[in-house]
Amino acid sequence: MRMVTRSAILALTLAGLVADGGVSAQTRAAAPRVNPDAAVIQDFLKRVGGYVALHKKLEAALPNLPAQTTPEVMDAHQRALSKRIQEARKTAKPGEILSPAMQRRIRTLLRPIFSGKDGQQIKAEILDNEYKGSVRLAVNGRYPDEIPISTVPPQVLSALPKLPEALEYRFIQNSLILFDQHAHIIVDFMDRAFIS
Amino acid sequence: MMHPDLQRGVFLGAVVALMCCGGSAPGRSVASAASPGLAPAAAAAQASGQTPLPNKPDTLHFAVIGDNGNGDKGQYEIGEQMAAWYGRFQFPLVLMMGDNIYGSDRPQDFIKKFETPYKPLLDKGVKFYASLGNHDSREQRYYKGFNMDGKLYYTWKAPKEDVRFFALESAYMDPDQLKWLEDELKKAGEKWKIVFFHHPLYSSSKTHGSQLKLRAVLEPLFIQYGVSLVLNGHDHAYERVLPQNGIHYFVEGSSGQLRIGDLRRPSPLTAFGNDTEQTFMLMEIDGETLTFNTINRKGAVIDSGTITRRK
Repeated sequence: MRMVTRSAILALTLAGLVADGGVSAQTRAAAPRVNPDAAVIQDFLKRVGGYVALHKKLEAALPNLPAQTTPEVMDAHQRALSKRIQEARKTAKPGEILSPAMQRRIRTLLRPIFSGKDGQQIKAEILDNEYKGSVRLAVNGRYPDEIPISTVPPQVLSALPKLPEALEYRFIQNSLILFDQHAHIIVDFMDRAFIS
Repeated sequence: MMHPDLQRGVFLGAVVALMCCGGSAPGRSVASAASPGLAPAAAAAQASGQTPLPNKPDTLHFAVIGDNGNGDKGQYEIGEQMAAWYGRFQFPLVLMMGDNIYGSDRPQDFIKKFETPYKPLLDKGVKFYASLGNHDSREQRYYKGFNMDGKLYYTWKAPKEDVRFFALESAYMDPDQLKWLEDELKKAGEKWKIVFFHHPLYSSSKTHGSQLKLRAVLEPLFIQYGVSLVLNGHDHAYERVLPQNGIHYFVEGSSGQLRIGDLRRPSPLTAFGNDTEQTFMLMEIDGETLTFNTINRKGAVIDSGTITRRK
């Protein structure tokens, strides 16, 4: 009986470790209570911060983009930056920044916003009736020129963690993307951000 | 350089331009005959039973275009009409409602979809001030021709009259932009506060229509801080909306693109609408009064009127 009880306790402990992403029971006991949702968002922002640091480092190596310039200079800057980021992140995979846990968290955050009559209106404003073709998203891929940049309604932006200036949330159909507006590339994406 | 479709009809185009700028257009001849003392711009408007632009030398003149940057024939024709009207109603600035460069925006696209159709105006020093639409790359803010100074949203005081313009990025209305807008509106001491951006808060078009979620956050600020006029695009029609809470709204999204038959009729919002031809607007502010003319690609005034600023 004692053996069984000990095994059960061990099993429960292990299960807890797995569920908690590897945090030891001892650490958990010693650490202050952490809201798991906050931890997921904190981890996401850390990953975002890592990306933005890379972006800034690579952009700093390029000639400065003047506030008023020519299309040639803008285009050269954008393509040089995107190329450098693509090279630096050539092994990047979907979910590296928008981790599975963060994707679940985002769906949870957006669910109330996309529900009901208001939610229908918000979806309509995002989908916007303009592009109905099929889309294949790729991490590090250039944002497709033929697809209009989606509106992201203020109610959605208020619900999501704030991003640094270089990055934006955008939607392509019902996929949420992290969009690098300087390099014009898709940094990461998640499918089915809402049911369209 | 003209749009290829127009090049084929270059003689016709030249004739039309001459007719508009001091030649012998039938419409203008009629107007001049009826009102020999009127300036040409006023005469043209009056000929069609419209309110003429006062065209005073010291007032603020400006133009409004939206959803223009497709590089198609309609955009070029509107560009020609703007140049023709400039000859009789000089406007130093043009407000752009977004969708400035559709599709690809490589350097050659800026030439085809902006610099060529508006070359006569650019050559005369007319400054274009852009807001971004959903078809625009964010990097357009660095383009010198759009005078955004690297900013997605910005404000500036008009060169004449007591007017301040606010350009917004309506596809990404995040809390930072809302706070910026409120701060800027609060401290703006000008009599006229004019806000422009791509997505309309009020629109009777079927394709997009009113952006209710955007309205929920912007309209209270407009009401609270005395905005008199809001200009938008996005829907490819022209619509003068009935005043909402004392604020005047226009949709000018047909300066290149056009979606024929897209306006709902009847609509409880519409004071006047047109979804059958490309248009642009001319405006003049004189003290407390703004006069507007909406002009089609043949150069005819199809809508006009005056509005008074909110106090």
